[in-house]
Amino acid sequence: MTTERNRWLSVYALLVYAFLFAPIVVLIIFSFNSARRGLVWQGFTTKWYPQLFSNDELIDALVVTLEVAVVAVLVSTILGSLLGLGLARLRFRGRGATETLLLVPMITPEIVMGLALLLFFLQLFDAHGSLLQLWVAHITFCISYVAIVVRARAASMNPQLEEAARDLGASAWGAFRYVTLPIILPAVIAGALLAFSLSFDDYVVTTFNSGVGSSTLPLYIYGKIKFGVTPEINAISTIIVAATALAILAAWRLGAFRGEGRAVVDEDAPPA
Amino acid sequence: MALLLPGVGWLVLFFVVPLAFIFIVSLGSRDVLDRVSLASPSLDNYFKAFDPVFLPTFLNSIRYAAITTVLSLAIGYPIAYWISRYGGRHKVLLIILVMLPFWTSYLIRTYSWMILLRDNGVVNSILQAVGLTHEPIILMNTDVSVILGMTYGFLPFAILPLFVSIDRLDANLVAAGRDLYASGRQAFRHVTLPLTMPGIIAAALLTFIPALGDFVTPDLLGGPQTTTIAKNIQELFLAGRDWPYGAALGFVLMIVTLGGTLLALRTLRREVIGAD
Amino acid sequence: MSDRHDGSTIDLEKALVRYMVERKLSRRELLERIAAVGSAAALAPIIAACSTAGATPSPAASASAAPPPSAAPTASPSPTPVPSPETELNILNWTDYLADEVIKSFEAKYKVKVTQSFFSTTDEMYAKLGDDGGDYDISFPISVDVPNMIAKGTIAKLDKSLLTNIKNLGTEWANPGYDLGNTYSVPYMWWTTGVGYDPARLGGEAPTSSKALWDKRWSQHISMLDDWQEVFGLTLIQLGHSANTDDAAELDEALALLKEQKPLVRTYSTDTIGTMTSGDIWIGHIWGADRFAIQETIPDFAYFIPEEGGVKGSDTVATFSGSPHPIAAQLFINHLLDAEQSAANTNLIYYMGPNAAAKEFIDPAILDDPTINPDQEIVDKLEELLALDQAVRDEYLSRWQELRG
Repeated sequence: MTTERNRWLSVYALLVYAFLFAPIVVLIIFSFNSARRGLVWQGFTTKWYPQLFSNDELIDALVVTLEVAVVAVLVSTILGSLLGLGLARLRFRGRGATETLLLVPMITPEIVMGLALLLFFLQLFDAHGSLLQLWVAHITFCISYVAIVVRARAASMNPQLEEAARDLGASAWGAFRYVTLPIILPAVIAGALLAFSLSFDDYVVTTFNSGVGSSTLPLYIYGKIKFGVTPEINAISTIIVAATALAILAAWRLGAFRGEGRAVVDEDAPPA
Repeated sequence: MALLLPGVGWLVLFFVVPLAFIFIVSLGSRDVLDRVSLASPSLDNYFKAFDPVFLPTFLNSIRYAAITTVLSLAIGYPIAYWISRYGGRHKVLLIILVMLPFWTSYLIRTYSWMILLRDNGVVNSILQAVGLTHEPIILMNTDVSVILGMTYGFLPFAILPLFVSIDRLDANLVAAGRDLYASGRQAFRHVTLPLTMPGIIAAALLTFIPALGDFVTPDLLGGPQTTTIAKNIQELFLAGRDWPYGAALGFVLMIVTLGGTLLALRTLRREVIGAD
Repeated sequence: MSDRHDGSTIDLEKALVRYMVERKLSRRELLERIAAVGSAAALAPIIAACSTAGATPSPAASASAAPPPSAAPTASPSPTPVPSPETELNILNWTDYLADEVIKSFEAKYKVKVTQSFFSTTDEMYAKLGDDGGDYDISFPISVDVPNMIAKGTIAKLDKSLLTNIKNLGTEWANPGYDLGNTYSVPYMWWTTGVGYDPARLGGEAPTSSKALWDKRWSQHISMLDDWQEVFGLTLIQLGHSANTDDAAELDEALALLKEQKPLVRTYSTDTIGTMTSGDIWIGHIWGADRFAIQETIPDFAYFIPEEGGVKGSDTVATFSGSPHPIAAQLFINHLLDAEQSAANTNLIYYMGPNAAAKEFIDPAILDDPTINPDQEIVDKLEELLALDQAVRDEYLSRWQELRG
């Protein structure tokens, strides 16, 4: 019985991954499309790849995007994790309000948030958009996501574990580092991954908070819609995916992802 | 307590304050040149926002967000379970693999879906080759393409929190459950499911709420019948050049969504989790 | 430029600032003063202050065969030089709307570094420009929106003395309704809006009326632009009214007709190239120049201006009241007016420019294409979309909302 369920589940998993990657396969194939515009296959060519390397604006946009994303992920992960942990653990009077505060950025329509930040920076600092402004904006909309994920994980953790560690002589930091952190770490990483995806692809908030020299890849790409999106964009997306995949592979080879790998259920236990 | 301060402080400074600016805008009006005028602040825009012309699009948004959330949870839970149970040493790798497709351009992914779903696209070709259909069925610019696109986009937002919660399950508890209950299914319902509820709730929040505000996917993959309230708001700001009105409509949407979400959370908490 | 010593450009900026501070001028007032008396006279004190050896005009000025028109007598005894531009220029633009070579040639000529920022819809552009242009020196507002920007003081007056190439404009562009005398803006590109279709999909038919977009046979294979002014424009003209009407009854008529059409429409989208080349749309409401791009994928793709009448539009290039590099901006506008540069742009984006002199450099395929470059008599019959009053605009928009909801 169990093995059959295993097999179905594994087939299912394969299908889900196929679903997730189906558009990516199409994307990669069409990066070799010889048609300059349009979504129809016209022939094979590799010309877009060398061409994009001489496209300064595209490369600059990619660099800016990464600059924004890395900082945004770092700061929002830290702030969000602390927030999520605090909300899970502590009981205090403003708790409901803080929870609500967490939800509101996610509820806010992007155009409202984008223009709110634009006005904020314009009125208070006479600023018209910049890398700094983008950092602030991206961090702001990422925090909630990280906090909610970390909170869910921390909520299912026995709070007395940390207390026990303290009783046994650990310092506050030590208790955090050796007891709490390992438990919430997967949530922190998950939050960081989500934050990165949010930041990398963001358009609306970004367009109203970017300035001269801080155009991101989405801004460049969406700007092309009017006159035709070329396969150059497919090419750079392919390169990003390939580079990331290679980096992951390398890290994996170096043993980065070896967890304890304990199974949830003991397979050898006799059926009930 | 100190844990919370940096996060809360940041949100107050860089979210609440800017939002206050927009709130003030919503109380204003548009002058002849489309600029915001605060000469005679009032709540007029809010009354205007309850215009029945927005009801169909609002219902559209709710419908898409709800279906997307249900589908994302339904699809996401088993895969999160599989990764946790069978991922072994490669769990993290498998999770990163879930996110990998989303480090490409959103627009190009959407174009790829258009290539797959269009009348002469891959999906239709396969359906016809297999004999299920004899002529192309219209998939693009319909509810189907919108929901497919949205579910696709939000799936990782469901899978990740679900995984994080499922992975936390104590193997002994689950084994005990199997001993206690007659079937695996009952064990799941009475042990696993409740224990992973925080993850399910997190996944639902991270899917439903942003989905409600998603206007790009219904705009690109949808058709004339799939307009969302988020698009209405966007149009008021940009095409209508009416920031005050757009802001008011935005706030109305936010209040309604917040109210609904808090209500749902409170109910769920009381019924399912008890103390949290 | 090569005549000047290295520090001259920086000196000029400092000198300009000092000049402005001494006279308590805001940037806008300076530009107004320049426009009023001619750059030479206004800036004469600064130019004289720079090394006299370097007062020789840069190669750019040699393009002006005639001395720049000047309302007031020039005080400076030396020949009127072109003021040295700042070192940077910030452009806000669609992606790929300026030919690479145009930018590079400008950079080389004036030693200015150009940075481009992007947007994807015109309304986004205006939001980013704000009330004074923000940090941007150059952008491309649609002509319909120029009067509003003039009224708000967003757009800056042009310094005709620097725009020596303005003589290249076709005569029909000398006095556009939205900006008399081209005081604030210079036309950049113009276009027609009409109907495009794939003849193979329509079974060899060749429609000539915009009613074809209401043809039930093409149900679910029709697209309309996601632009309220264009959509209402087309419909109003079909009904025999003006595309800019303010008559509520006529607008209601148009709305009713559009509501009839809605079940047949597959999508309202401005991504005309994407939707038309996907094969799902067989006939659609598109801009004329898009046809060229679509033809790369569908060689027989056709386009026509409806027999009931069509619409034309144009955009402009302008600089703004808060622009940080006003001189470079003016010089860039002039650069765009150069015949070869204008042609380079047209050859890239397939839109026709207003530049009569450019015609000899434009790709003949574009020049001969009646959809991108129709005969003047056809163009004259087209109705231009105008800037609408706020109240009238609201009438259109509320009906648009009703349609799209």
